[in-house]
Amino acid sequence: MSLSPFKRLKRLTGIDTQREKYAYAQDPVYGHISESRVAERWVKTTCGYCSVGCGMLLGIRDNKAVAVRGNPDHPVNQGKLCPKGLSEHHILSAPGRARQPLLRKDGQLVPVSWDEALDTMVARIRDIQSRHGNEALGVVGTGQLLSEETYTLGKLVQLGFKTRNNDGNTTLCMASAVSGYKLSFGSDGPPGSYADMENADVILLIGANIADNHPILCHRVDRTSPGTKPRTLVVVDPRVTKTAMMADTHLAIKPRSDIALLNGIAHILIREDLIDHDYIAQHTVGFEELSQFLSPFTPSHVAAVTGLTEQQIIDLALLYGRARSAFIGWTMGVNHSTQGSVTVAAINNLALITGNIGRSGASPFSITGQCNAMGTRETGFTSSLPGYRKFDNEADREALAEIWNINADRIPVARGLAYPDMIEAAVQGRIKAMWFIATNPAVSFPNYKLLEHAFRSLEFLVVQDGFHPTPTTEFADLVLPAAIWGEKEGTYTNSERRVSKVNAAVSPPGEARTDFEIFLDIASRLGVREELYPGWTTTHDAFLEWQRVSKGRMCDYSGFTWQQIEDSGGLQWGGTSLYRDGVFATPDGRARLHAVPCDPFAEQPDTDFDFILNTGRTVEHWHTRTKTAEVAVLNSMVPNAWLEMNPLDAKRLDLRPHDRVTVKSRRGSVYDVELRITGIVAPGQVFMPFHFSESNSNIVTLGAFDPISREPNFKQCAVRIERTPLRNRRPSSSSRHA
Amino acid sequence: MSLPLHEIASSGIQPTLVRLTEHGLSIGPMPNEIAPALEAKPSLIPARALKHGEQYRFHFDMTRCIGCRSCEVACNEQNGNPADIHWRRVGEIEGGTWPLTSRFYLSMGCNHCLSADCLRGCPVDAYKKDPVTGIVLHSAEACIGCQYCVWNCPYSVPQFNPERGVVGKCDMCHGRLTTGLEPACVNACPENAIEIEIVDQLGWRCDHASADAPGMPNAGQTLSTTRITLPARASAPLEKVDIETLRPEHPHWSLVWMTSLIQLSVGALVTAVVTHRTDPILLSLIFVLTVFTLNISVLHLGRPAYAWRALKMWRRSWLSREVLLFGLFFSSLTVLTALAWLRSTNFWLVSDSVFTLAQILASLCGIAGILASARIYLVPARPAWNMRHTPVDFLLSSAVLGVIAISALSHLASALSRLPQLAAFQPTQRASSIPATAIVVVSVLWILNHILRTIVLHNSNIYERRAAASLLNTEDLRGTFLVSFAFLGLALFLSLTGQPLLALPAALAAVMASRYLFFVSVVPLNMALTFIRQVHA
Repeated sequence: MSLSPFKRLKRLTGIDTQREKYAYAQDPVYGHISESRVAERWVKTTCGYCSVGCGMLLGIRDNKAVAVRGNPDHPVNQGKLCPKGLSEHHILSAPGRARQPLLRKDGQLVPVSWDEALDTMVARIRDIQSRHGNEALGVVGTGQLLSEETYTLGKLVQLGFKTRNNDGNTTLCMASAVSGYKLSFGSDGPPGSYADMENADVILLIGANIADNHPILCHRVDRTSPGTKPRTLVVVDPRVTKTAMMADTHLAIKPRSDIALLNGIAHILIREDLIDHDYIAQHTVGFEELSQFLSPFTPSHVAAVTGLTEQQIIDLALLYGRARSAFIGWTMGVNHSTQGSVTVAAINNLALITGNIGRSGASPFSITGQCNAMGTRETGFTSSLPGYRKFDNEADREALAEIWNINADRIPVARGLAYPDMIEAAVQGRIKAMWFIATNPAVSFPNYKLLEHAFRSLEFLVVQDGFHPTPTTEFADLVLPAAIWGEKEGTYTNSERRVSKVNAAVSPPGEARTDFEIFLDIASRLGVREELYPGWTTTHDAFLEWQRVSKGRMCDYSGFTWQQIEDSGGLQWGGTSLYRDGVFATPDGRARLHAVPCDPFAEQPDTDFDFILNTGRTVEHWHTRTKTAEVAVLNSMVPNAWLEMNPLDAKRLDLRPHDRVTVKSRRGSVYDVELRITGIVAPGQVFMPFHFSESNSNIVTLGAFDPISREPNFKQCAVRIERTPLRNRRPSSSSRHA
Repeated sequence: MSLPLHEIASSGIQPTLVRLTEHGLSIGPMPNEIAPALEAKPSLIPARALKHGEQYRFHFDMTRCIGCRSCEVACNEQNGNPADIHWRRVGEIEGGTWPLTSRFYLSMGCNHCLSADCLRGCPVDAYKKDPVTGIVLHSAEACIGCQYCVWNCPYSVPQFNPERGVVGKCDMCHGRLTTGLEPACVNACPENAIEIEIVDQLGWRCDHASADAPGMPNAGQTLSTTRITLPARASAPLEKVDIETLRPEHPHWSLVWMTSLIQLSVGALVTAVVTHRTDPILLSLIFVLTVFTLNISVLHLGRPAYAWRALKMWRRSWLSREVLLFGLFFSSLTVLTALAWLRSTNFWLVSDSVFTLAQILASLCGIAGILASARIYLVPARPAWNMRHTPVDFLLSSAVLGVIAISALSHLASALSRLPQLAAFQPTQRASSIPATAIVVVSVLWILNHILRTIVLHNSNIYERRAAASLLNTEDLRGTFLVSFAFLGLALFLSLTGQPLLALPAALAAVMASRYLFFVSVVPLNMALTFIRQVHA
């Protein structure tokens, strides 16, 4: 505070009440509002947090973002935004933004020029690759990048750095949905749209707390306003979430018993003949085997596994079976599991045997996580080739090689290591260099100790992020400061396959550059820029090539230009529903029905670790809080983590509300967590949010992964709860910059 | 001053002002002229003009709220408020046993009460219930930052902004309503759970049952106008989720000092008068102490430069009355001290009766000031203050400090009178000594009052009182509670063993420690808040 003594006196005596700062003014568009929020111009864009993909307008004055408004004309959100969206402009000028490249010298991160940073990066990686092979480099991208950037990055990693080890943080999020769709339908691609929720007779949400995680989807299940269709909302979740409170029926099942429930429903549907025989006969394979497999899943068996009553299970089955159109939505409750992929297949089974797919209101629908998780699934060069092409399909490889004008043998025939396997390989010394882009594994990756071991085993770690310091940049040898949402132009694709335009409204802070510029610069230094990106200068060049790559594919972007996307408030590839003709992306065009056994989750509670820990989110925060901890209003609403425990357990352990407790698993301990005693969680279960690096739930979570999707089992592990001894308490500070 | 909205509406030119339709906001004709398709979404602000005896109010539909807190953020953006000041807040209530647990949310701005306690207590008339809209408006310009409204509002709606030195509160986005726009919270809610309605004030006075909700203070106290639609199916009684959240309130150090020292001054004066120690040196000491104390008191204000404005509402506000009475106490003490000097110097002949009258006047003003001061704290919104123990404590503190101080002040006075310049002003010899029993009795009464108060708090059926007792019993405050008694015991001992100069600081420490606890341990009435939230300083 460099106030003159006179001004300070005026403030202390109250003569100065900061009238100017708190003045109101008339915004020409939005009317009476705090003068500080009056914009000169409004830039149309799409929200950069979750995958709902809300259209927004970013208000700019003096080249600074001062306000945000929901775009009333956008089909997704019709002008509404959640609290994160409503305060999103604050992140652009946040104090924690990364402003200059930093290189570790003598143990310290010191500012360097971009030339030195990128020359060092290329030289170090080449050196490591020359000693340990090309695949000693692993790259982890993100669903926060633009589709154009992900597409560019994929080529850079595979064809420039010549390593197959390229994956995204999306593997921590929706990889199981992708794998499940591939298992059943032969391809990724959510078959439905948000509007299906409005048109369905039954909406079944499994492991999806949309009120906290996708608040702007909640109006889609409004059943009371005039003009809305009367329909039934069923929420399946072990915890009484905000979403459970919106439901007509909440089924509080035992953790990880959803497969049994899904199989039980299918069993009853078959028994009661509430299935679509024609659809099964014409469009599916494997019904006989499935039907046989399901015979033991009687209501009484399923009741024992799920903890529900037989009547609840029968009621749900009849409700689903009798609906003319039924919608099943799910998120992390399903995906964050060692059985995530097959659970998705079990969901798809239900949709297929009742013909609830490819029609309005009828869809098995994965509600995705990050703003552009979908885009990275389509454009990425990670678990598939760009445009949902397969590594093991020669025709796919040759088609790509032709577009790119390269030899087809440069395209690998199998994917490289998935994200968790790269971490494993780093521990084993097979991967020596890693490059993380816009993700914060030090908070988001399970079993933190193993990750730390991996980081310490690497010879060279590059972290490219919009923020510094983050818990991950602390480990970095090189920090590349990147532009974020609001500073870049391109497209995001949301959960319902809607491609939306994202626009640059302000310049990145300091020397930060867009991820796209960084990728092209690295390509130049690798000597592949002209070959891979001939004549490219902007992300639009990437989009034009991506249009050619996706043309004729399921995710076909060739039919619309950037301008058309912008004007229409986003366009859905594939239309409102996929598979309308019942033809799937399998060789014979038929969907596959899978027999999905219901296994118990990996780490069951025992006498030493007697609680099941569930993890999740709260509406005020986003992922690891690199962004939302920087937005004071959000951080002040929920400044710290907490642990939810049932009153019965608290009584047994003699714990009181607000006690400080330690969450202890076989892998580590999270100390000093504020205890909330609540009937929201079941006896024997505890819940904590995963947003907080200060109370990192991933110190205790399990390093177990889905064998198909490689997605971690974040949702269940065995823990013990103890009162935190005084020596392990922290001063009650919440800000990352404190 | 009528609002444009009202003018347009009452002019009859445009019977319908603004409607939210599926095509966005439309300003247009009567509802019956609108094509039915446009009425898909109901209007979220009134479609007709206010009639006489009507006002605007919030309607909150608890069955629609999903607890997303968009309204809270939108409000802060609208008003450019700091992150920790929320004019609209969202709270949570919960009940029942898993899996049949119910949890619901409350979203509340200002309730624009018919009988607003914020307004009634304000010493500077910074509040106004708008005659046209019924909105309770607050003027930052008029406000002096005394924060009495913060204590008076049973919903903790007004919030002090230390950066500005003034209080602020929800004004129903008055400036938006006047231009036909819905308030920011109404606009932001993705579930249309908040809307503006018209309420007939007289009817509401008779029946305001739908302003009550679990997790909310009784609406009858201030006649909150907010209508709350409650869920039909709550499996069990719903309670605030923050019911166990015990957080000390602001200590208000300047008030701890001010109330303790002014009680010392008044107590010392009254004791001096009763024991005939009205010599000029002793009175001057009391006078100096009073000057010091009154100067401290303005430091409590966010805008000390405008302290004088606090006199304005003496007809209505106890805070104004306190200021007035202590002002009179100061004036009469000044006169009394001057008279004492005049008498001693024989410069001016002052009759005994005039001098006695001055003594009585100053004493009465002082006692009245202390009672007015105590009356400030007798607010329904702070149940642990709103007890007869508060005025009793203020009077007993004054008595304890007075009887103990007078010996110390006499000591000082006689020491001063040894100075050659003051040799002429020896204390009068007719002063009677303070009987030890008096000191013991007031001290015991003081301690008894505190113990009784704590027992009453503990056994109260009012949550906020029990919570105050629990706060006093927390690790942080328990020690201070015991220390205050220990100090008083020490003061008593020192006083009885003839060491008044040491006894006085001990007694003052006892009173200040208990006064500190008085301020920090109070649990205000409030809406249910969330379980996790920022700890405010």
